[in-house]
Amino acid sequence: MSTAERVVFEHVSKRYAGTGAGNPGAVEDLSLEVPAGKICVLVGPSGCGKTTSLKMVNRLIEPTSGRILIGDTDVARRDVIELRRSIGYVIQQVGLFPHQTVGENVATVPRLLGWEPGRQRERAAELLELVGLDPARYTARYPSALSGGERQRVGVARALAADPPVLLMDEPFGAVDPIVRERLQNELLRLQEQLAKTIIFVTHDIDEAIKMGDLVAVMQTGGHLAQFAAPSEILANPASEFVARFVGADRGLKRLALIRVSDLELRKPLTARAGDDGAAVRARVAADAFPYLLLVDGLDRPLGWLDDRRIPSSGQIAADGIEPAEPLLDRRTTLKDALSMLLEAGVQAGIVVNPDGAVDGIVTIETIIERARPS
Amino acid sequence: MIDWAWLGDHLDDLASRTLQHLYLTTLSVSIGFLIAFGLAVWSIRRRAVYRPILGITGLLYTIPSLALFPLLVPITGLTDLTAITPLVLYSLLIFVRNFVAGFDAVPSDILEAADGVGYSERGRFWSIEVPLAVPLIVAGLRLATVSTIALVNISGLLGDRFGGLGFFIFEGIRHSFPTEIFMGGLGSIALAIIMDTALLAIQGRLTPWTAARVPAGVPGSVDRQPVATP
Repeated sequence: MSTAERVVFEHVSKRYAGTGAGNPGAVEDLSLEVPAGKICVLVGPSGCGKTTSLKMVNRLIEPTSGRILIGDTDVARRDVIELRRSIGYVIQQVGLFPHQTVGENVATVPRLLGWEPGRQRERAAELLELVGLDPARYTARYPSALSGGERQRVGVARALAADPPVLLMDEPFGAVDPIVRERLQNELLRLQEQLAKTIIFVTHDIDEAIKMGDLVAVMQTGGHLAQFAAPSEILANPASEFVARFVGADRGLKRLALIRVSDLELRKPLTARAGDDGAAVRARVAADAFPYLLLVDGLDRPLGWLDDRRIPSSGQIAADGIEPAEPLLDRRTTLKDALSMLLEAGVQAGIVVNPDGAVDGIVTIETIIERARPS
Repeated sequence: MIDWAWLGDHLDDLASRTLQHLYLTTLSVSIGFLIAFGLAVWSIRRRAVYRPILGITGLLYTIPSLALFPLLVPITGLTDLTAITPLVLYSLLIFVRNFVAGFDAVPSDILEAADGVGYSERGRFWSIEVPLAVPLIVAGLRLATVSTIALVNISGLLGDRFGGLGFFIFEGIRHSFPTEIFMGGLGSIALAIIMDTALLAIQGRLTPWTAARVPAGVPGSVDRQPVATP
């Protein structure tokens, strides 16, 4: 795997002939640095210059002034063909070559670079595997025989084929339905954990930007950079009226999408097993701030909530009449999803389990709402 | 009405005239193809020349073939060139229109993707644009071939050395002998049908991606399979 490279915009402007700044697609004095291995999302309304900015990196558009560096090299000094072959490029319509099979599409850049045919095939299979497509089933197909989501995966595989240090993605998931989009987003994040490429990602969807970006650049009509910061910072402290409006009134909810259960200090629930002494447990419940009892099995896996009226004052606790142990959360669940699951189940607390299914703790609605407030 | 005995006696003539017909057709269509390809490439690179090219080739197309063959005799004499030149000129309009339409039909996102992954201009043209234009290029080739096969008959005006199967038609008219007219006419039609079918089959071979489209989202598509959230 090649190492990722930083991408730096230095006072980059693009003006179109006969027009001043403020025209659709124009970019005005853009300066920002995307550190190596990070995802930077360019987001903004249409015509804000986000796609123009992206295309100036692989020189599909040449800037009017300023310069763009990959690593320490000005892209304008590099051979344009060689430059583009060293940058992965994914577009919304995917742009798969319809007359080439999936395998040939994926191997495009290796072929252009003159790799041995055997090595091209090997690499194509490896990449299809990586994006979750079985090479045996997909290599020989033509793009017309693929679904939208499959095409987009092939597009990502093609962009990664020559192991580029930088990946440009122009609304890559804009043309697929919301369910598939969510899945592709998650898979890209999973891939990025292994690949750690420098990714510049364009979208007009602020939710997607917050979800995907290590850094988010909010751009404003006229090609101005309105704010460049981590998603949590943009949600907590929008730099201007424009950013606040663009981010939306539900900033608190959006912030929840950035926090995971593992970021919280988990409360330990009161637990007991069937057969425990009722009186002792009753005493513990009465003394707890969250007076609900969770019954667990021998391996600490949750069985269900036990209403305190059903805890016998003497004798052993029995596991009947319990409320189902729902919802179950894991440490990677976002607070936004957790809140939604709690509301759905109509309960106050969700049970967090570890990968073995044993109880780790609980998350209550109050804890979640606490975190939604601006810090 | 048909004199089968005469037909049986002239199978050799039929074969040699068919070969001549094929020779004149193939040569003219090939030359026309190459010239038109150049004109089409020029047109897509420099849009401004497309209208004039269409105007000129369209004007050539309107010249009656009955006039054009004899008109060339003082210039080129009674040579193959005299037979072939009009055939080439008539094919140009058909070719140019189809070629340009074929190149225009290549979706812009595919061209952008090709540029983005680092095709050179020439590489993009030969590896992406030409293959994707093949359906319309072959459509032009079929049209031009069928129309040229019909026109080769007219070159029989230039005398017995020309005309392919059209020779029999002119002979039949001269001798009021329907068998010969039928033989020339039907032979020419058969040739057109055979060539057209052959070209269609070749197109199928050249463009396997246009055949047998599986409906998108085939069963077992990964889109619908569960995946863990990151």
